[in-house]
Amino acid sequence: ALVSCHRHYRSRPTHGIGRYKYLLPKEAPKKKRDRVQMKEIDVGTEHEYGDINIQMTSYDMCLVEHFAQYVHRLCNRLAVRVKESYAMPTKTNEVLFLEERGSKMQLDAVLTTHQRVVQISGLSATFAPILLEAIQSNQPEGVHLLVKEHTEADFKSRLKSRPELEELLAQMS
Amino acid sequence: CLFSFLSSWLPQMVPSRGSHWQSSLLTLRASLPMRAQPKKKKKVDPRREQAQKDRMKKKIKKLEKAAPEMIPIEDFVTPPKYLDSSRVRSLPPLSFEETERRVLLMKKWCLFKQKQDKAEKQAIQTLIAAQQEALKELRLESEELYQAAIRRDEGLFPFEREGPSYTPPLPGYDPPEGKCVDITKVYTQ
Repeated sequence: ALVSCHRHYRSRPTHGIGRYKYLLPKEAPKKKRDRVQMKEIDVGTEHEYGDINIQMTSYDMCLVEHFAQYVHRLCNRLAVRVKESYAMPTKTNEVLFLEERGSKMQLDAVLTTHQRVVQISGLSATFAPILLEAIQSNQPEGVHLLVKEHTEADFKSRLKSRPELEELLAQMS
Repeated sequence: CLFSFLSSWLPQMVPSRGSHWQSSLLTLRASLPMRAQPKKKKKVDPRREQAQKDRMKKKIKKLEKAAPEMIPIEDFVTPPKYLDSSRVRSLPPLSFEETERRVLLMKKWCLFKQKQDKAEKQAIQTLIAAQQEALKELRLESEELYQAAIRRDEGLFPFEREGPSYTPPLPGYDPPEGKCVDITKVYTQ
């Protein structure tokens, strides 16, 4: 394939200079509705951890978003591979309290719990405590930090539940 | 009178002697199929069950073909009441001194944050350097201990930590009784 440009000097030795796309590996054409597939879960070796989920939960959305951004940038800066960075579905809680003189529950507030997840992989065993120290020292108020290994159940919790399929499967077995 | 008693005691179960063609109650059940067509239950039942199972399998296949969808995140959807463009805040114009003050404050804040960030990066670098030096010394001391130190810590994860709070908990605080009700919208596919 020749260079699609306006220059027509095909006889010159500089023709085709700057072409590089033909050197890159062929990318599979992305379908419009790509099947939501789980990425391979890395287990990790003796000296490296596999897929680690850094989950930040809070009632305040701005705080948790900014903290997630900070953690992501920190990992980029410290050359820790960030596999995925996503948000978990929001949970809404209605807080009811019992009045002092009365038996009726009164609505106090409607709280929304937000959770952000930064998934990293290939964290070396010697660097892990340093990273945790850096994240902890910058943890804002009210943000609950949870660092754990990534499992299939974590991925499944992001997907919609299919009650009909589960019912039919239960009936079959 | 015996038959009438039986019929009143179990009106559905026991068939009473209707006509004179029925010789006795015990042979009633046996004589019935002779009047109607033979039902042939042995073949239809397994076939019906098989057909039912096939239908269920087909339904399951059809449902499984549809890709599982992710639950939409409510955070990223702006509520429609904020999309109304008629609500615009009109701010009063600021004086020259005020704008100057704000700009200078922003500059001081930027400098402060830059120093803070630099100090943090420096701290991380010193931590790494100190760790590397310690590991080098350990290696010189004993190879076994060094290998054990390099290994990953299984007890490190899961690691949980609550964020710091502005104030310590009040002593002797009696919270009112109440409960939390989860009203998250459940999405089904």
